Amino acid sequence: MTDPAFFDGVIKILFVCVLITAAYIITTKNLISLVRVYSLQSLVLVAIATALFWREGAAVLAGIAVVTLVTKVIVIPYFIAAVQEKIRIKRDIEFHYLSPTSSLFISIALMLVIYIALSNVLAGTPAKGSLFFFGAVIGLSLVLMGMMVTFSRKKAITKVLGYLSMENGVLLFGLFATELPFIIEFLIVIDLIILVILTTILTIGIDSTLEEYHNRLHRFYLWEEQEEAP
Amino acid sequence: MILLAYVLCAAIVIACIAFCHTHRQMNAAALGFGAACAAITGYILIFVQVPVGTLIVGNGYFFIDHFGLFEVAVATAIFLLAAVYARGYVENLIISHELETGSLKLFYGAWCLLELVIVLAFYSDNLALFWIFAEMTTIISAMLVAILSAKENIDAALKYIFVASVSMLIAFAGLIFLFEIARSTTGTGSLNWTVLIQQAPAFPPGMAIAAFALIFVGFAAKSGIFPFHTWLPEAHAKAPSAVSAVLSGVLLNVGIYGIIRVFAIVHRTTAVATASLLVLFFGVCTIGIAAISMLPEKNLKKMIAFSSIENMGICLVGLAVATPLALFWVLFHVMAHAFTKASLFFSAGILHRQYRSHLSADAPDEIRDVFRFQPLAAWGIIIGGLAIIGMPPFAVFFSKFFILLSLGSLSLWVLVLVLALLFVAAAALGYFVIRSFSRVTPEGEPLDLVPYQTPLAMKAPIVILLAAVLLLAFLFPMGGTAYFDRIVAELMFI
Repeated sequence: MTDPAFFDGVIKILFVCVLITAAYIITTKNLISLVRVYSLQSLVLVAIATALFWREGAAVLAGIAVVTLVTKVIVIPYFIAAVQEKIRIKRDIEFHYLSPTSSLFISIALMLVIYIALSNVLAGTPAKGSLFFFGAVIGLSLVLMGMMVTFSRKKAITKVLGYLSMENGVLLFGLFATELPFIIEFLIVIDLIILVILTTILTIGIDSTLEEYHNRLHRFYLWEEQEEAP
Repeated sequence: MILLAYVLCAAIVIACIAFCHTHRQMNAAALGFGAACAAITGYILIFVQVPVGTLIVGNGYFFIDHFGLFEVAVATAIFLLAAVYARGYVENLIISHELETGSLKLFYGAWCLLELVIVLAFYSDNLALFWIFAEMTTIISAMLVAILSAKENIDAALKYIFVASVSMLIAFAGLIFLFEIARSTTGTGSLNWTVLIQQAPAFPPGMAIAAFALIFVGFAAKSGIFPFHTWLPEAHAKAPSAVSAVLSGVLLNVGIYGIIRVFAIVHRTTAVATASLLVLFFGVCTIGIAAISMLPEKNLKKMIAFSSIENMGICLVGLAVATPLALFWVLFHVMAHAFTKASLFFSAGILHRQYRSHLSADAPDEIRDVFRFQPLAAWGIIIGGLAIIGMPPFAVFFSKFFILLSLGSLSLWVLVLVLALLFVAAAALGYFVIRSFSRVTPEGEPLDLVPYQTPLAMKAPIVILLAAVLLLAFLFPMGGTAYFDRIVAELMFI
């Protein structure tokens, strides 16, 4: 349609935005803004998917953009924020092994390693040098950064956000291998929603005594079914 | 179309469970579903010409081949027996207030859903679809672990979800890689296993090994391979025993199944040597870590869980040898291990009911006077233990023997190492059993234990499984050999 080089530029800028959100997720201690940043990161992914859709015109990309917008920008962050409200955790200051600064350094190192490894693996194939290559590097880095969050934080709810951020990385990687059937992307999202609901419910259990847990669970049951509807 | 029969049965049964009121009714429904699944599988096994290609019009998401059917047959058999066992076991859980009556519907609903998802996973042709089903098994089974009203169970379930799901995401990145490889070599990307195995010889080795390594991480976590095994002992030991049997006997197979499928693809590329080395390394490490962890273990169910890790390691070692003979015995080992391990968890469940510690699930079991209170469970542990460490004439002996024999042709040093580790594991199990079963209250002292009246429904599955493990070795040559040969041929190892 329009000039592909223009869209390439836009996508590269969006890549930078993704990295900024990832860095924020790694370092922040404030749980509420963590959820907001996750939502923002998903929004950037939606933008990338839309830009790719304009460039390549594959309907799957539009579908992915819509599904991501509905679930990851709106429903899941809303759900997690509501749970946080209930269990009244505002800050997660317990970093397990890593301080924020050292985790930033490690993630920079990780990105370099992935860049070098992927250039070796893809050397000689047409994929090298294309947008697919950059998508793969950024996507895989995001996966590893999310993994770092999952394993270095103590609170289960922060772990969930780390996991979600990983999943965003996989999605970003997948966006550049466009021919994946839409039904599969859709099923992954369903899977993600179930996982988030289950883990957050269990999280409530972790941070309370058992009697309280059961009371809370009863309150959540009704509420959970409303969430599952979309 | 035959898959719809499974889905239909599941829908009917789950609807029934929603309307049931007593535990007996719900259990009967779950039992009925297990029987129905086993019946459908038996029907396919006997009457349907396998492999069945496209089951859904269009892209070919599902298929039935000998390998998938074999796994489904093992899985449905264990689910059926576990449902019988659950009749007595879950009733006791309710009486002792470890399981709320309100959670029963959730328990049996999740149970049936888990069986359905596992069956669909084994019949998936599309690897991404298989991935989704495998991931769902994690979530549903974690729900079954967390359902007991104890904080440790929630802990174990969360650990299970995070370790397994995080690794599975890495596996999905690997699948995208595989898709790109297929696209760059043939023009059209595909994740259908039947297509990939045909195209595999043209795959560039560097990318193939990268994809395999990423996918291996995910499925290794599902089957408790070092260093992703940390969730397994916790989850298996704290789940209700009927669920532990399913986790150990069926869910670990899902992971190994995925590894075997992807390894079969890599086996046809030139990268096979590197992949074998990778698998061998992790296999030996897994056996080692399991054997060493078993030595100081004082909790029976954790002991059995570590033994599962060890056996998954043996499967990997056999796979790494990558000869048709080794693969044949890996498949046999998957089956033999599943049956033996389920019977062990059933026996351990009875002992757990009798001697459970009221303080914590982590506390060592205080087993004493075991032959007086629970003679059947004690003999179940002894015979099952002998079977799992590979004593003839039980089925596991044959698979371990031939896997090690094939390993010997690869490297004698690794063989010696693995043998030593297996000996350590066997000794640890033996020492534990002798020590705890020989503890007897002296004559004249008062007994403060009330014997737990084990219902027949809990005893029968143990006897059936042990008989199966014993007879398997002798009845197997009738039809089994030819069937396994066909699997090996379909995986293109010959």
